[in-house]
Amino acid sequence: MSRYVIGRVGQALLVLWAAFTVSFVLLQALPGDAILIKFLNPELGLGPEQIAEIRASYGADVPLLSQYLHSIVNFLSGEFGYSVQAGVPVGDLLLAKLPPSLWLATLGFLLATILAVSIAVLSTLAPFAWLRSLIQSVPSLFVSTPVFWLGILLIQVFSFQLRLIPVINPGPWEALILPVLTLAVPISAPLAQILIRNIDEVMTEPFIAVARAKGASRSWVLWKHVAKNAILPTLTIGGILFGELLAGAVVTEAVFGLNGIGGLTQRAVGSQDIAVLQALVVFSAVAFVLINLAVDLLYPVFDPRLRIRERAAA
Amino acid sequence: MTGSLTWGSVTKAAGASETPVKGGTLVYLEQQPHTNLYPPAGGFYPNGGILNQITDKLTYQNPETLEIEPWIAESWTVNADATEYTFKIRKGVTFSDGTPLDAAAVAKNYDVYGRGSKDLKLPISEVINNYDRSEVIDPQTVKFYFKKPSPGFLQGTSVIGSGLVSLATLALPYEALGDATKIIGSGPFVVAAETLGRELTLNARTDYNWGPAKLAQQGRAYLDTIKYIITPEDSVRIGALLAGQADVIRQVQAYDEKQVEDEGYLIYAPSTRGVNNSVVFRPDNPLVADIRVRRALLHATNADEIVSTLFSANYPKATSIIAKTALGYVDLSSRLSYDLEKAKALLDEAGWKEGTNGLRQKDGQVLELTAYESLPQPQNKETLQLVSQQWGKIGVKLNVLTADSGSATVNNLDPAKAPVSPAMVGRADPDVIKSQYYPTNRNVLLQKGGNSDKVQTFLDEKLNTLLDNLASEPDRAKRLAIAGDVQAYVVDQAYAIPIFEEPQAFAAAPYVKGLSFEAVGRPSFYGTWLAPRH
Repeated sequence: MSRYVIGRVGQALLVLWAAFTVSFVLLQALPGDAILIKFLNPELGLGPEQIAEIRASYGADVPLLSQYLHSIVNFLSGEFGYSVQAGVPVGDLLLAKLPPSLWLATLGFLLATILAVSIAVLSTLAPFAWLRSLIQSVPSLFVSTPVFWLGILLIQVFSFQLRLIPVINPGPWEALILPVLTLAVPISAPLAQILIRNIDEVMTEPFIAVARAKGASRSWVLWKHVAKNAILPTLTIGGILFGELLAGAVVTEAVFGLNGIGGLTQRAVGSQDIAVLQALVVFSAVAFVLINLAVDLLYPVFDPRLRIRERAAA
Repeated sequence: MTGSLTWGSVTKAAGASETPVKGGTLVYLEQQPHTNLYPPAGGFYPNGGILNQITDKLTYQNPETLEIEPWIAESWTVNADATEYTFKIRKGVTFSDGTPLDAAAVAKNYDVYGRGSKDLKLPISEVINNYDRSEVIDPQTVKFYFKKPSPGFLQGTSVIGSGLVSLATLALPYEALGDATKIIGSGPFVVAAETLGRELTLNARTDYNWGPAKLAQQGRAYLDTIKYIITPEDSVRIGALLAGQADVIRQVQAYDEKQVEDEGYLIYAPSTRGVNNSVVFRPDNPLVADIRVRRALLHATNADEIVSTLFSANYPKATSIIAKTALGYVDLSSRLSYDLEKAKALLDEAGWKEGTNGLRQKDGQVLELTAYESLPQPQNKETLQLVSQQWGKIGVKLNVLTADSGSATVNNLDPAKAPVSPAMVGRADPDVIKSQYYPTNRNVLLQKGGNSDKVQTFLDEKLNTLLDNLASEPDRAKRLAIAGDVQAYVVDQAYAIPIFEEPQAFAAAPYVKGLSFEAVGRPSFYGTWLAPRH
């Protein structure tokens, strides 16, 4: 077990280093750079000599390799540099923008899971065949709902018409209700779909037929036999979706003015704010690696066969 | 309560609303987060909207008359050729960190704004031309020397970009000035708290007693607090205003104005009083190097149709390259006529014949141009697309491209990639024309020697001489005459096609009183108060 863990952690570190290096190279290869974009801005009306001076003062013309070593050392010591566009340390930006994004992602994912499980269970247990197939089509409806439209609709109805939840100056929890709902709907769709498919697959297995022949009810079979078997692939997809959630809530954040990591990414890409982008790539890689690590370590918990294999190998 | 509202109580309420109410919090919804708050970077609207509340200026430009009036400077003298300016500083003014705003502080501010700072990476202010040095004569008197006449300087001391900040703020490097709490001014409001990119709280300074001398409002501001909340989505800002969750919002699109007014809310659309929203050419690109091609496109552009299709009465059609309300404006509408026949004749004359596909061709080349959308300008993409349709009628293709602001900035500086570009800039002084067209300023025509290293040859010495004279002619009447000459020259050369006079559009709840705007449309909340809501 410990060798398994050490191996997975080593892999994770390698992935992080690769993410840092590849993103460093790619970001350097961009046609412009943040300093140029910021100071070429006609609003400042700077001449070419002034811009050259500013570039030199930012160390933009230092050889790439020493820039690379410099920034990797800085990253390891928790020093992410300054955002050229926003004029504040990147660390401060991340600290300000992480909490709303993390809450949004975590709660959105939880709600999406609840939605997905409810849809899957209902689509298996609902009384009539037509109702089951109707419920089965809900994920397709959810996945094709534009997040932007849904967000605006929820705001219009719950905030502006019914005046239940303010969007401006809401309390910390009030601020999350509508965005979490908005985000959970599209995320729940693939989860529900995979759950439904796995339930269907497991339902056709011979041991289910045996259980049913012995007189087990549909719901007993579902909870006792099918659920455990259907949960593994869902867990994998869940891990991937959660990674996307963190950086991918751009639209939801923009509609609700949440200003988290999504909005930060969008603006940093627009202004090629390399220090910010580099930090975001590394942060996303860390989040992704951690979540997948957690999923991998959870596998044996759900599937006894994996535990046995582990023991045999050890 | 609402049911028993009588006529008497209505009139009483209306009467009561004339006496300013002290206290309260104003919620202001801003579309974009501020960027760098170094005052010379105050041209970006979200920056100016904050700096205008927390910093004072040496002088005050009356937004009605455009006259320069006393503020932190009680009085001033200018020598005959506008190379020496002496200001008497008001006594007892302090920055919010307690340090005095005296002659020494003013001198230090202008040395930085006029010369920039290499060590701190602070750029030179675009409104200060030909700056040489300052001299502190006594604690309340400061004198500025210029290398060449600088007649625009006096007005330049009144703009948001010349907001005075404490020595502690001036000691910070450029990259640290994105944090609003670091900007220490002497204004009626002080930054109390900031959540980066999301929210900013300003509190009134209770000891504030140095507003512009001629203003009716004196002493501290009425409001206790202003809350800026970044709300990027247009429909959310408007919905929040109409639902009573916000009091003032910035950036209302023309197509939303009616909905706001129908609900009894108010639209404010102060003019930016500078160079109009225009389409400009980059003559370094061979396709638009021929004046006949540019003139043809000028006459093929129907500004009336753009204004009536996309905008509202708050967006007047342009009749020169600068706004009617700008200093030195001359009416050039007769030279900006919409005339398709003339446009076609000019293209024929220039050798661009209509090909089989309806597009103009010459030597096997198609007359196909490209422009990048400018994100900050209202409905710019729609405007360019309509221009593109209009030019299509004479067989010219205009591709309208959208890019992230970074690539757009870079591509827009290349005449080969962007032979056509949208442009506008606001400032209530004729120097604004120089800012817009001069190669070492904004350089919208992309002349050689400016911020673009992609330009091969294009340089218009005559235009630059006119602009130089405009920025250094000390005689006011002569200076305004030069401003007229420049406008006529730019239109005659068809360097720019002016389209509309760009306002800043705000919407406010009816109980928000005393909302005012400085000369180029940034809000001022100094005299603002909140009447009781009904």
